Amino acid sequence: MNIIDRLNQMLGLLGLVMVDVAVIGAGQTKYGNHQLGLKGMWAEAAENAFSSIDKNFEPRQVDEAFIGSVAFGGAQLGNTAALLTEHSGLDGIPVRRVENACASSGFALRDAWMAIKSGQADIVVAGGIEKMNDLSAERKRFWLGVSGDTEWERLAGLTFPGTYALMARRHFHEHDSSHDDLVHISVKNHMHGFENKDAHIRKQVSFEKAESGFMVADPLTLYDCCPTSDGASCVILAADHVVRQFTDDPVWIRSSGAASDHLALHDRPSVTQLLATQKASRNAYSAAGLTSKNIDLAEVHDCFTIAELMATEDLGFSKQGHGGAFAREGLGVRNEGPVCINPSGGLKSKGHPLGATGTGQAVEVFKQLRGTVEDSRQVRDAEIGLTHNVGGSGATCAVHIFGRDRNE
Amino acid sequence: MSVGRVQPAPFIFSGGIEMNEQSHWKGYLVVENLDSLYIQSTYIHEDKIVYGPDSDSTTMAIAGIQFMQNKGHHIASIHLTESVDARTLFLATGVDSTALNEDLEFEEIEWDLLTGEEATLVIAKSNTESYDFEAPQGVEIIDADFYNDMEAAWKTEQEAHHVSQGAYVSSSQYFEGAEARLSLAAQGVGDRMIWPPRQLDANGRRIPSESYSLDPEAQVESWTKLSAAGAPSEFSLRAPILGGIQTLLVQFKQGPRGVFLVSDDVDYSPKIGDTVSFAVRRIYAQEGMMRYGLKANPEY
Repeated sequence: MNIIDRLNQMLGLLGLVMVDVAVIGAGQTKYGNHQLGLKGMWAEAAENAFSSIDKNFEPRQVDEAFIGSVAFGGAQLGNTAALLTEHSGLDGIPVRRVENACASSGFALRDAWMAIKSGQADIVVAGGIEKMNDLSAERKRFWLGVSGDTEWERLAGLTFPGTYALMARRHFHEHDSSHDDLVHISVKNHMHGFENKDAHIRKQVSFEKAESGFMVADPLTLYDCCPTSDGASCVILAADHVVRQFTDDPVWIRSSGAASDHLALHDRPSVTQLLATQKASRNAYSAAGLTSKNIDLAEVHDCFTIAELMATEDLGFSKQGHGGAFAREGLGVRNEGPVCINPSGGLKSKGHPLGATGTGQAVEVFKQLRGTVEDSRQVRDAEIGLTHNVGGSGATCAVHIFGRDRNE
Repeated sequence: MSVGRVQPAPFIFSGGIEMNEQSHWKGYLVVENLDSLYIQSTYIHEDKIVYGPDSDSTTMAIAGIQFMQNKGHHIASIHLTESVDARTLFLATGVDSTALNEDLEFEEIEWDLLTGEEATLVIAKSNTESYDFEAPQGVEIIDADFYNDMEAAWKTEQEAHHVSQGAYVSSSQYFEGAEARLSLAAQGVGDRMIWPPRQLDANGRRIPSESYSLDPEAQVESWTKLSAAGAPSEFSLRAPILGGIQTLLVQFKQGPRGVFLVSDDVDYSPKIGDTVSFAVRRIYAQEGMMRYGLKANPEY
């Protein structure tokens, strides 16, 4: 560390200079059906993240770790993070599991960012993991929907397909939107994910096929729903005064915004907007000094196609009620519209290993901004990216904005 | 006195003669008199009156008492038979019983609830000496396979070892909101009604407990039908028999919204803007305990 970095660190600790935070490495497993168990999957994601760091790095340099997981199926519910870090060369450091449903690792990323911002740590691991496909079909169904307001929603027969179906039908009623718009989203995300080697479902689908899928929760069909995936993801953050030890090509976290809302859909003032997304993104845009117009690519939480439609509205890419037209006109298609929505294929195609999804989105943005994704799916001139990670049907939300440059 | 298949004869009531008046009420057939009520399921299977797919003596007892309350009868307490879940009945109707309240004197209870051998009940003043009701019209034969499959599914669900994992609603969690769930009891804050109940407000003060009731009618804001494959595991035995399960998002006149299953015994194609009302029905059973709640129906 040179004298200027050292001085910045000391001023940061005194609260006189706010520390900037960069992503110096990021990696993940392929999402899908894994033969590996939790330890093996996490080790693979961590190994990929470590090896993505340009200069010398050793896991022992990490100060702290935050790992998101729902512990789906009840697997390793206790001390999840300590077990995983033990198997990735991160022995002895403070670690913990972060649980905020499907937004678990979005919040792990935020916690890691805050740990560095506070001056308490210089190098922090944020990651996530979920193993979903080693359960019997019946046991899996027990676990889907555990993050709703179970006392009320579960007793009304709802899991998340049902909850999002209620939102979709209401959106169609209130606005100029229809199931065809959701089909456009499904087709786009399958097209984006087709060339992503880490995607769970690498298969393009036609409009005709996607619109005639098996009905899961009317009006949502199979092609409106993300798969249940195994997977792990890991990003390594560093304080500005140590970044250059590891890379000359960092991706900066320009801001982090987060919010929560009522768990139950019926308790919210609107069922066609996610207020947690609106609040989290407002805070993130404000802190970064940016607007939605500055975003080149966004990894949004499309657990169901209606969730992406609503996210384009709540994140400000379209006006409220215009998300259907945004999808219909292909404005989120890679290198065709003003912003590429879900260049990875999103949860719909890349997959949704609950606790791994948030930091998995950060892995995609890191690679896109550094130009290291497959050439065929590179977003042109990508300078600023956004991740949007939602827990439950909108109860929690973390939004992060990343840039090639630091905040001015 | 026996309550089973009632005789299709003119009715005679001790203390006076009155004509029976028959009507449909919350999915059941009722025959009312001044101080007594006969209520039965609408379904017949193998020449017996049987309960519908999500009904039992508890749900029908609640419907019967609510009918009497609706007619202006004050029923503070009632003698129950063992087949009726006294706690659920109390939470839904406010009617006490010795099964629930040990301090209640047997003699001070003015009402009886008698269950028949079939899916029939009588609610009457305790001093009534005899009952005779004209058999109501409007029963239908239930599909035998459907009936047998549902009965088998409920039997399995009610076994003590039938346990959910994951989205588990424990008995204490279930009962914490049961009064609001079964009777639409709401909290009042200023001119605003809060339902389902909440704990503390933004000032950290406890919100007054439920002392109001929402009007038992609401408007459909959205709806979905989950395929059998997409239904939560608590419904996994019955959803395939029913062809999926249907949930409504509704808004009450006083403002609050809620989500409710549609009763299993109606064939209903919802539309946004429909008005629905509610009746207590079985939701699911776990670890030997039946969970009850309100289900929606456009016809009640």
